[in-house]
Amino acid sequence: MAEKLLASATEATRYQREWFQGLHEPVAAGGPLALVNADAPQEIFRAMEIPYVVNQWWASVVAAKQRAPHHLELLRERGYPDHTEQYSSISLASLFDPEPHNAPWGGLPRPTIVLAETVGDGGRKIFDVWGSRPGITYYALESAAENAVPVNWWDLMPHDWEKAVGTARLDLMVSELHNLIRFLETTTGHVFSERALRRVLDLVNEQAEWNRRSRDLIARTTPSPLAVTDSIPSVMIPQWHRGSEWARDAAQRFYEEVEDRVRAGAAVCEDERARLMWIGRGLWFDMDFYRRFEERHGAVFVWSMYLAIAADGYPRYGDDPLRTLAARFASFHDQLYTPPWSSEWYVKEARLHRVDGVVHLVSDDARGSYFTTRALRAAGFPVYELHADNVDTRSFPETAECAMEEWLEREVVRR
Amino acid sequence: MATPLEQLVGHYERRYPVAADGLVIGCVGQDVPVELVTAAGALPVRLAGRPGTDVTEGETYLGRGVDPAASSVLTRLLTGEYGRLDRLLVSRDCEASLRLFYAVRELRRLEPGLGLPETYLVDVLHLPHWTTTRYVEGRFAELVAVLERWTGTRLTGPRIASAIMAHDARRDLWRAVSALRRDLRLTGVQALAAFGAVLPVVEHNRLLRQLLKSDLDVHTGRRIFVTGSSHDNPEVYRSLEEAGCVVVGEDHDWGDLLAARLVGEPTLAALVERYQYNGPTAARGSIADRAAHTARAAVDCAAELVVSYVRRNDDAPPWDFPAQKEALGRHGIPAVMFEHQEYGSIDLAEVFVG
Repeated sequence: MAEKLLASATEATRYQREWFQGLHEPVAAGGPLALVNADAPQEIFRAMEIPYVVNQWWASVVAAKQRAPHHLELLRERGYPDHTEQYSSISLASLFDPEPHNAPWGGLPRPTIVLAETVGDGGRKIFDVWGSRPGITYYALESAAENAVPVNWWDLMPHDWEKAVGTARLDLMVSELHNLIRFLETTTGHVFSERALRRVLDLVNEQAEWNRRSRDLIARTTPSPLAVTDSIPSVMIPQWHRGSEWARDAAQRFYEEVEDRVRAGAAVCEDERARLMWIGRGLWFDMDFYRRFEERHGAVFVWSMYLAIAADGYPRYGDDPLRTLAARFASFHDQLYTPPWSSEWYVKEARLHRVDGVVHLVSDDARGSYFTTRALRAAGFPVYELHADNVDTRSFPETAECAMEEWLEREVVRR
Repeated sequence: MATPLEQLVGHYERRYPVAADGLVIGCVGQDVPVELVTAAGALPVRLAGRPGTDVTEGETYLGRGVDPAASSVLTRLLTGEYGRLDRLLVSRDCEASLRLFYAVRELRRLEPGLGLPETYLVDVLHLPHWTTTRYVEGRFAELVAVLERWTGTRLTGPRIASAIMAHDARRDLWRAVSALRRDLRLTGVQALAAFGAVLPVVEHNRLLRQLLKSDLDVHTGRRIFVTGSSHDNPEVYRSLEEAGCVVVGEDHDWGDLLAARLVGEPTLAALVERYQYNGPTAARGSIADRAAHTARAAVDCAAELVVSYVRRNDDAPPWDFPAQKEALGRHGIPAVMFEHQEYGSIDLAEVFVG
């Protein structure tokens, strides 16, 4: 395992462990716990002080502990598929674990509510299974689509989100949020305060602004002051706590630490010869992967979506708190996976970071890769498509690393 | 003189290209409200793929993670196999259809020289909530405006009402076709043809009425109910029936699910609810709704076996299957699932074991 360079990454992990440990007791005592998808409006839960665990975060922990194959086997044993939407379904297998005390971090406490948008064909089914278990309610949110969208969403989103997302989708999401709030008030007894939500939204925007500063600083600094393996925990653990003062302050500490490293001239790889961009979800079962190309090729992964989307994908300013929150999530998936939004944003980020090459993780699912790869190549960036799932080790080709090294030498380092 | 059944089979086997006086509007997915297309004086033509043909072109844009039936449709669009298509309406009936829409939208932006038709997404959503109804109402209102622009025809209340009645009449006739099949007077392959023949609705209804009055053979075979992926072509049904079965029913949207719900009254509001609540399809229905529906439909069909046929990259059906099997078991109906099947074929090696 690569050593963490940043104190902010170590501190984020420590905080997360302590917070997670603290969940067990109140849940065992009958308190509510939500399991929410990564692109769901967690801010409502934050404002109502209902604890939540992010589905994909838990999957990343399971995968990092090399437990994903075991979890997929648990699904298969119950007749469920182990070959689709693994990133979203691995947490479900925790329900079926016959030895939960052996699970990472003491195991996932049993949630009382699961929240997810109805994205894709298999995604809602996973949550249907959650909802079929005693004591668990699945609250489904619609996921709507739009005919025509302006390309430059990253410019429009902070203030002009109505134009970027479209009124129809926003109206729907606002009505969904109204109903979600009433449901949570009724079933948990917790109170929803609009003042509390406004405070949460302010904190999320402050956090996003710190992330934007960090992203911009890293983008313009050569050699890269840190590896993506450092930025990911420093950004993502606070991301799952966004709307809290701790998360806002963690984002600030991360920025200040990066700034210190830049001032000191620190480099993750002194002999940096190529700046790489990683498009796709994190390769949680092998995070060392990102560091293995530094010594031999001087190739450093300077970009992952986690910091970049934290910088561009979250800021939303507006007077109406629910509509402003709806604007964050009514089209979140599109920012990353739907052309032209996704493809043009990746090109914008590749240019901003002056990358020399792009490794594009392409999972065997419906999101596809063609338009992203095409846009990057058309903009002059060499792209290596790595066809694998980010948590399912069975899908990772043995030859991938060699092939990638050949690509690095052939198209990137020697350019 | 061809019999009504032979005529329907002919219109099904030679679905494309079509000739029409007005606009020909290609439709992807079962969630396109064809009533509005008819009301606008255009011909809605639902687009099917073609198994056994090269789908490389479609797969290039959609990737290898998408249902190959959608890759086939995109390939046929790109190669012009459908003939004249003046416009395209894509519904959001499954993820593959949505991805096809995004690919067409992006190709029109990047490569206008490909000549892909102007395309509009019909975003019908299916959660059983009033808030969803409000959203779909808005989308249908937008679609009315789009169709008026495309055709130059004003979609008045009477025009919409007339089209709704014609299409509801077809759904009633399809239900009668399903009843004929349950009596084994039609095979599954023949029923697919009666459902999927490409004709103006009035002409289709005329042929269906003639079919219902005609003399039909009585077939024999093991009674199979098909669930899982949809079937836009008859190959899998043909394989099953050549192996001694009759497909007596199904729960996908190229078959019985097309007629599962009528609009019921000639208004736009009723049309919205019909499309929101029709189903439950594998891609959009909940596991519980699917299990209840499959069990009820299989019982109604007196099915001896339920076959869940699942194409490669069709993500939803395998999640439905455990609950379907359990629900069917309560009625003494066995069920078997075939996963990772290639488009248009089924590996029958295991079907009849036991």
